[in-house]
Parts: sequence; C-alpha cells; structure tokens
Amino acid sequence: MMNADLIIAIPEITLLALACLVLMVDAFSKDPLHLLTYWTTQASLLVVLALVLYYFPENVQVAFNGSFVSDSMSAILKIFMCGISFVVFLYSHEYLKEHKCLKGEYFVLGLFAVLGMMIMASAYSLLSVYLGLELLSLSLYAMVAMQRDSSSASEAAMKYFVLGALASGMLLYGISMIYGLTGSLQLVTIADKINLDDTNRMFLVYGMIFMIIGIAFKLGAAPFHMWVPDVYQGAPTSVTLFISTAPKLAAFAMSMRVLVDGLMPLVEDWQSILMILSVLSMATGNIIAIAQTNIKRMLAYSTIAHVGFLFLGMISGTSSGFSGSMFYIISYALMSMGAFGMIILLGRNGFEADMLDDFKGLSERSPWFAFIMLCLMFSMAGVPPFLGFWSKWFVLKELVASGFVELAGIAVIFSIIGVYYYLRIIKLMYFDKPESMTAIKSSKQMRAVLSLNGLLILALGLSPNILMSLCLTAIAG
Amino acid sequence: MITLPEVLSLGALLFCISVAGIFLNRKNVIILLMCIELMLLSVNMNFIAFSHFLGDIHGQIFVFFILTVAAAESAIGLAILVVMFRNKDTINVDSLDSMKG
Amino acid sequence: MIEQIVFYLFGGILLLSASMVVVMRNPIHSALFLVLSFFASSAIWLLLQAEFLAIALVLVYVGAVMVLFLFVVMMLDINIATVRAGFARFLPVGITVAVLMVTAMGLVVGADYFMSDTYMAIKSVGSDYSNTKELGITLYTEYLFQFEVAGAILLVAIIAAISLSMNKSKITKSKNPQDQVFVKKQDRLRVVKMQSETKGTES
Repeated sequence: MMNADLIIAIPEITLLALACLVLMVDAFSKDPLHLLTYWTTQASLLVVLALVLYYFPENVQVAFNGSFVSDSMSAILKIFMCGISFVVFLYSHEYLKEHKCLKGEYFVLGLFAVLGMMIMASAYSLLSVYLGLELLSLSLYAMVAMQRDSSSASEAAMKYFVLGALASGMLLYGISMIYGLTGSLQLVTIADKINLDDTNRMFLVYGMIFMIIGIAFKLGAAPFHMWVPDVYQGAPTSVTLFISTAPKLAAFAMSMRVLVDGLMPLVEDWQSILMILSVLSMATGNIIAIAQTNIKRMLAYSTIAHVGFLFLGMISGTSSGFSGSMFYIISYALMSMGAFGMIILLGRNGFEADMLDDFKGLSERSPWFAFIMLCLMFSMAGVPPFLGFWSKWFVLKELVASGFVELAGIAVIFSIIGVYYYLRIIKLMYFDKPESMTAIKSSKQMRAVLSLNGLLILALGLSPNILMSLCLTAIAG
Repeated sequence: MITLPEVLSLGALLFCISVAGIFLNRKNVIILLMCIELMLLSVNMNFIAFSHFLGDIHGQIFVFFILTVAAAESAIGLAILVVMFRNKDTINVDSLDSMKG
Repeated sequence: MIEQIVFYLFGGILLLSASMVVVMRNPIHSALFLVLSFFASSAIWLLLQAEFLAIALVLVYVGAVMVLFLFVVMMLDINIATVRAGFARFLPVGITVAVLMVTAMGLVVGADYFMSDTYMAIKSVGSDYSNTKELGITLYTEYLFQFEVAGAILLVAIIAAISLSMNKSKITKSKNPQDQVFVKKQDRLRVVKMQSETKGTES
C-alpha cells in the first residue's frame, strides 16, 4: 500500500530531491553566473514535467490516508506550473544577470515554491492545503527580499509577509472551526458530513467566511488587495514575474479544492460572498489602474481585476463554469508572463523599464517587440481573436447559463473600462516619439522565447478549443 | 468541568486582541509579528479545545504542524526585518510612502 | 470546580498579558508579556489533556522563538517614539473593530450548540496513557506526507534566513570551520628542545 502511495506522489518526491541537489550544487559552485545552478534547476523542472506526463492519472488516485490526490485537474495544473516556471526562470536569469544581482538561492527557493504549488494542487486535506500554501508563501517572501541592498524590495517583502501571515491566520481560524464542526480534516469527509447533516449550517458558514477571507488575501481580491500593488512594484521584476504567474494557478487550485471539493454543500453561501468580492475586485482593479504611471503597478491592479473575473466562473457553480475559471487563470498566467517578460527585455543594468513612458515609441525602436506587446495588451483587454477574449467569453457564457445575467452585465461594463488602460500602452508604443533610441540588448534565447510567448497567445486565441477541452477534461475527470 | 464554549470564547477573544493589535501597531513591525504569533496561539487554542471535546487526536496533530510552520515563519519574518532595518534604519512600515498611488 | 478555577485564572492571565503585548510602549516588554501568555496558554492546554503540545509550546516558543525575538529587538536600535506615533490615532478604530468582532464571534462560539452531545466525547484515559505516544504514532503513520512537507518548510526557512542575513562584508570577523577542522598538530604546536631546569640550580 505504501509503495503505491509513493508512486502517486513521485513528481513531488523527485522535485524535493532535485531541489536539495540544486542547493548542494549551488553551495559548491564558485561560478559568478551560477550557470550550473541555473541549468540544473531548468533540468529539474523538465524532469518533473516529464514525470507528471508519464504518470498522468487516468482516474482519481488518493494517497497518504486521503491527504493527497492525483486527478487530471492536478496533473494539468502541474504541467502548466512546471512549464510556466521554466520560462519564468529563463526570463529571471536574464534579468538577474543584467542587473548583477544573481544569487543561487533564487533558483533553490523558486524550486521549493514550485513544490509548494504542486502540493497545493494535489491537496486533499485541509492540512495539506495549509502546508503547501506555507511552503509557497515562505519561499516567495524570501525571494522578494532577496535583493538585500534595495530598500523598496525589503519594504515590499515586509508588507507581503505581514499581510500573508495575517491571511494564514484567518485561514487557520476558519479551518479550526470547520474541523470542530465536522470532526475531520479530509475534504471529502467534510463534504459528506455536511451533506448528511447541515443543522449547524450557520456555524459552518462562520468558519467558511474566515477561510474565504484568507483565500481572498492570498489571491489579492478586493477589499483584501492592499499588498498587491506595493509588492508588485517594490519587488525586483524577476520576482514580480514569478509571483504573478505560476502561484496564481496554485491559488486557483486551492480555492477549487477547498470550496468545490470540501464545501460544495455550502455553494449558495459562498456564491454570494464571491459575488461581492468579484464585483469589488473588478471595480477597484479596473478603475484605479487608469491612474497609474508605473506599469508594474498598473499590471498589479489589472491582476486584481482579473481575479474578480476568475471568481465569476466559480460563482456559476457548474463544472463547466469551473473549467472556464481554469481556462481563465491559465491564460492569465501566460499573458502576465509575457507582459513582465517585456519589462525585463526593455530594462538594462541600473535601469528598470517600469514606467509607462519607457514604452513610448517602441514601434520605432523594435517593431517586432512592439507587435508582441500589442498582442499581449489586446489579449489582456479581451479583444478578439486573442486568448484573453476567449477566457472572458467562456466565463461569461457559463455565468449567463447559470442565470447570473446582471452580474455578467456588470463584468462586461468593467472590462470595457479596463480596455482603456491597455489601449493607452498601445497608443504610447505606436503614436508617441521615443524618449531614447537605445537599442534593445538581450540574448537570443530571451528574444526567441518572448516571441514564442506572444505568438502562443495569438495561436491559442485562434484555436481556443485545444486549451478549453483540456480544461473540461480536467474538471470532469 | 470546563465547557467547550468557554474555551472557544477565550480563543475568539485572543483572536480579537491580536486583530486589534495589528490595527493599532501598524507602524511597529516587531509588534505586528508578535500579534501574528498571538493569532496563531488563538487558532491553536481552538484546535486543542475541539480535539479534547471531540475525543479526536487529529486536532492536536494540526497544532503540531502550526507550531512548526509558525517557528519557520517568524524566522523568515525576523530575517526580512533585519534586512529592512539595515536598508532604512527604521522598522516603520509607513515610511513606504514612496510606493503610494 | 477546581478545574474551572484554574481555567479562569490562567485564562485571565492570558487575556491580560495578550492585551499588554499590544499596548506596551517598549517592544522588550511586549516580548516578555508574550512569553507570559505562552505560559498561561500552556497551562490551559495541560487542562485540556494536550500534554505534549503544552510542553512543546514552552520549549519551542519560549525557548527558541521568543529568544529570537528578543535577540532581534536588542540588536536593532529601535526608536520607540517614532514607531508609536500612529497608536493614538488608530486607537478608536482599533477598539471599534475589536468590540464588533468580539460581539459577532462571541454570539457564534458561545452558542449552546457547542454544548451538545457531539462535544461530550472527552476521552477518559487511564494513568498508563501517553499523549506523546499516541501523537507520535499518528504523526509517523497517517501524517507521513505532511511530516515531510513540514521538513521542506523548515529547510526553506533555513535557506531564507541564512541568505537574507548573512553578511559577507569585511567589517565582520568570522571563523572558518573548515580551517579549524583541517588544522594539524604541527600547525599549532611546536616542541622546543630546552635545557632542563632543576630546583637545585641556584644553590
């Protein structure tokens, strides 16, 4: 029985072993470029990706006394987590090399963060959810503070830490109430217990509210979003890039596990809470983003708005709605990866291209990358035929099908407001004069991958059914 | 004989004190960290109370893990605090007004 | 009856010292009051038959975490006047939030529901029962996976704390353990041939 358990968790076990290997490699290498560390990290991610594919679960497999699950949702999310982290580390290596703040710990902590995300995706008991979340968050806090001589980075790390710990406290208080009321930590048992007897529903909702506040904090949904802009702006761009991509998939997985696998019997209650959070997030995100002059800060507010949209799919409460949400978060991670990759591409030593004005006249400096940025911004704004349009479309379609027509209307209005600040960047790139004509200098691989990243958004947008059918099997199977 | 509502109320009071402390000491990071420890203590109180009154050991196991994680968390928090103090010579979070907007 | 007296005594100490943590001017006083609140809750946990965790709380928190806190507070030269500036301004808001929360939470957790039969399943155990043993057996069998994850979390904490606070600048002097281990006898010790001296030489 034990051996079978170990095979189910083999990608995680391998990743833990490889992360320790990378740690040792880094401790003994004297290379200032940390090339060996970097390549072992990337190789580890590829190995784990291959293992997830090889052991792709055909049915739901539960291991370790019901605290770990391997199903197609977790496997697909893990594939994207590893793939996205691979590209993120490639961009980050470029950034850290250029800004001369390369440290091996960045990659070690990054791998541990990926491990935390994978555990969150596979968590089947509240304790696994909590531990996976803490493994991820602790690595991220340290990564934000890693640039030790930057006072803005350490201050951002402090804010992130305090609010993250507060969120964990809230989540734990909720977990303790749910445990006390159902007598179990296993998500499936909790759902069964509530189905059998919901006379204590009021108390369950009380616990659930605390858990949702914790999750909302971690996802950065309004009104618990105050850390997002400061952290996005204060952290080094390489870390902002990481925070805004793969961990979002993990946060989605966590909300799916807790709310759908565990608390589905309370669906009417959490629907109404998520509705409030969703409308507030879309409003705050889209309206405040207009006033920003710093592009990292602007993208932070756009994240808040996107989280609001993510909740819409979950509010519909059907499995196709959850697939829509999954589609949404995967496409968001891909777009955000490209957008922050672009900021890294334009930056150079001692200069961060994080002001909107740095994008002025990009079409004259580099028509190709201006085009890639155009794809990314159109996609984020939700203009057809880009990927972002389809993600919004699927979510809204499911929402209307479940009868939340007014909510869908509000979402459409806010995303039209949101189009403005994405289009402003395109205007700056194509219709303004550049402030300096310095050529973009970056390695061939960075250019190639970033181009692929942008073209992928376009290609997936032209045939969205591939990704959508993947998400449908993920939730159904 | 102690009853469950008594212990749960103690936990809830402790939770409220820590939330109020986070509100009041927004400028002093070191007390913020202590308030977070208090909050985790209140959660642990809840778990142990439920574990006792349900006759179920799993709640105590959860507390064991919370203690472990909280120790790791405060180590990282204090490390970040030291880095921040070296950079800014203060532990005042509000001095981050450069990032408003 | 005696249990209730003990519970209310330590509960009172716990709440009082927790409030002192929040309102004290000097972070060192706060830290010491936090130690007191850990001791008080440890006593309550003993009442609730969680013996191992009660001891672990004192050992881990009072012994390690709070020492770390005190160490950091004393290492950093904190200007108390500036960090206290916002306190009075936030006081009304803070108290309002706390009172609202206490009322709301008290209504829920004080309900009679928590007196029902489900919550009367307190184990009566004999004198040969060991809480530590039961906890250990559950931890190392059912919770094997989580135990490993907790190990990874501690490793991350070590990596993070070292890489954030290790200062390699020239100001600090440090020993090199490798040099200390590899040192040979002949590097440190020199045998010198000398004329032997006896007590009777001056005579």
